[in-house]
This record gives sequence, C-alpha cells and structure tokens, in this order.
Amino acid sequence: MKLIQKIFFFFNREAKLFYSNIGDLFSNILFFFLSIFIFVFALGADEQLLRNVGMGIIWSLLLLSSTLSLRKFYEDDFNNSVIKIIHMGGMSYELIVFLKILSHFFFVQIPFLASIPIACVFFNLPINEVYNLILTFIIGSFILSCLGSISASMNLLNKTNFSIGSLIVLLFFIPVIIFSIGTNNSESDFNSLISLLLGIALIFLGISPWSSAAFIKLALRNK
Amino acid sequence: MLLINNLSFSRNDNIIFQNLNLSLSNRSIAQIRGKNGSGKTTFLNVILNFLESKTGEIFWEGKNIKKNIFNFYNKTTFIMDHNTCTRKMTVLDNINFWSRLSSSKLTKDEIVLLLETFNIQKYQNTKTMYLSSGEIRKLELLRLILEQKKLWILDEPYNHLDDLSIEILNQTFIDHINKDGVILFTSHLKPSINNLEVVDL
Repeated sequence: MKLIQKIFFFFNREAKLFYSNIGDLFSNILFFFLSIFIFVFALGADEQLLRNVGMGIIWSLLLLSSTLSLRKFYEDDFNNSVIKIIHMGGMSYELIVFLKILSHFFFVQIPFLASIPIACVFFNLPINEVYNLILTFIIGSFILSCLGSISASMNLLNKTNFSIGSLIVLLFFIPVIIFSIGTNNSESDFNSLISLLLGIALIFLGISPWSSAAFIKLALRNK
Repeated sequence: MLLINNLSFSRNDNIIFQNLNLSLSNRSIAQIRGKNGSGKTTFLNVILNFLESKTGEIFWEGKNIKKNIFNFYNKTTFIMDHNTCTRKMTVLDNINFWSRLSSSKLTKDEIVLLLETFNIQKYQNTKTMYLSSGEIRKLELLRLILEQKKLWILDEPYNHLDDLSIEILNQTFIDHINKDGVILFTSHLKPSINNLEVVDL
C-alpha cells in the first residue's frame, strides 16, 4: 500500500517537472513542424508525390524530434542524486526505470500525438493512413521511450558525447519503422504487423528496466 | 547498533582506506575527520552500499545489511554533501515529495513550524533554484526531521550554515541522541557536543 502511494507521488513529481519544463515540449513540436515545412517546400506542390512520401517523412521526423528530448531522461535526477534518495525510499532501480519510462511515455510522447493529425494535413494523407499512423505511433513511441531509457542511462557514463546514445536508438528503431510503414501496404496483413510491433514493445519493456538499472548502478559507482 | 567490521575499499588498485572498524551503539554520535581526499565521502557511500567494499561487513541491528538492504534504508536518513532538492520545484513541493517518499507522519502544521524554525517559511512557494546555498542546505537538513529515522548519516552537514543554524543543528543532534538515535557525520569543524566519538581516516 505504501509502495503504491510512493509510485503515485513519483508520478506527481514527474507531472510537476513536466509542467515546469513545458517549453522543451513546445520546442520539440516546433522542430517537428518546421522540418515538415522544409520537406514540403523542398518537394514542391505535387500532391501525389507528397501523398506517397508523407508517411515515411512524418515517421522519420517524429523519431528525430523525439530523440531531442532523450538527453533529459535521467541527467537531472542523476546529477543532484535524487535517484539515490528515491532508491533509499524503498524502490529498486529497476522500478524507478520502469516508472520513468511510463512517465516519459505519458508526458513527452503522448502530447506529440496531438500534432500528428495536423502534420498529416500538409501531406494530404488519406484518413485510413492517418489512423494507421496514430496507432503505430502509440506502440512505436512506447518502444522509443524504452530505447531512450537505455541510451540515456548509457550516457550517464559518457558525459561528453551524446550522439552515441542516439545512434543506438536509431539503429534499434529500424524494424519498428519497417513494420509501421508496412501497415499501409494493402498486400500485407495488418493484424500480424501490429502483433509484431506489440511483440517488439514487450521485448524492450522486458530488457530496458534491467539494462538501464545496471547502467545507472555502474554510473553511480563511478560518479 | 551499527557495526563496521574490517572494511576496506580500493579504486583502480588505489587503496582509499583499509581495515576500518567502528561500532556505534544507541545514543552515540561519531564524527569522521580527515584531510581533503582522505575518503570520508567514499566511506559513507560504502556504508550505504552505493559503492562495493573490497573486504569487510556492515551490520545493522545484528544483521548484515546486504541481506536486506531496504530494511537498512528504511531506518536511515542520508544527507549528501551536495543538494538533492529538485531545482525546478517549489520548497513545499520538495518537502511533500520527501515526506511521502519516506511515509512521514508529520502534519502540515508541523512542517510549517519546522520551516519557521529555520526561517525559510517565506519561500514556501518559491522555486528552490532562487534560494541561497545556505537556505537550500537548511531545506536539505529538514529531511532529518521529516523522515524520523533512527540512523542519521550526514556528509559535511555544517557547510554553508550560519552560526545560529549550526547551534540549532547541534541541538537537534543532541535531541536525537537522547531519543535513542545513532548519528555518523563527517566534518572539518569541531562541534561542541558531549560524548562525541572521533574517527580519524
């Protein structure tokens, strides 16, 4: 019962921190829209062309703009040792990582969802592709949160070069992109692709708490 | 209550300290003294299991702490040498988070009274990033009273404090010892507390 209370107040704190850092979210969304504008202007006013490439461009830009926010994942809590205090409050590092992933998913990725339908308007996407994009983004962004947790915790050990962490996210995200784009192909089976995506999400949900916790422990030891 | 047996720690084959023994019973207070870089903070981190010791064991209430680390954490307050409050949250938010995290039984009025004792009640709704380092330090030390744990481990508690606050802190230490508490702290100062054990590193 006490643990549930503690988890509730962990989320309460995350919500307050999110609210005070709301400018970061807006700047990420602004980055997303500006890069979409650049693509639209660069490709010209060919409606059919935009419709064909739209889904791929939106996915890759979503991926790039979400990696911008990964740097903040653990850095603040690690630098002022709040992570130690929370650990001493009775939560294992694995649980902390799991809660962090959930809060990143709810507070950083889900607000992005609102910007996707607006982005789809610029590419003149048909409505069923918009539905597919939103559904696959919900699953894909959860995978992104898990991967982000791994790369951000690895970066606690390496304070100078952040791009190495982003490389891991981009590398492991390739299958997710392949399967998400595949949902629009009429020849492939929609349900099986969604099952594959859910499978990948479950794999990373299993892996990331243990690996991130191990990296955090290692980083605390070398602090 | 706290028994440290033959503890040694080394980092990259560099021996920081070795064969340290310390036993603290109820109602006792110990100060760890030493030169800069002699491993005081490392010693506290080893006791709290944040760093892996090379040899030696630590017992709390007769049990090896590694067997049930959360049982040990549940009885311990650790004040670090740097500030652990979240800079972007207000003073009251920080305090609420700490008190919920440690399932504190203090009521709201008691917390306000505590803030008044340390003279920071007017900053209740200010973000901690705007407080001076002394005020943040006092906020940090409030955790001692909030969490109401038996063992207090403090790293340089006197940093940034003014004379009056040092006196209040010493009085708090004495009160805690009289309530069967155990205190272990590092400092360069020589505080005026009776029955102070001194460990030299």
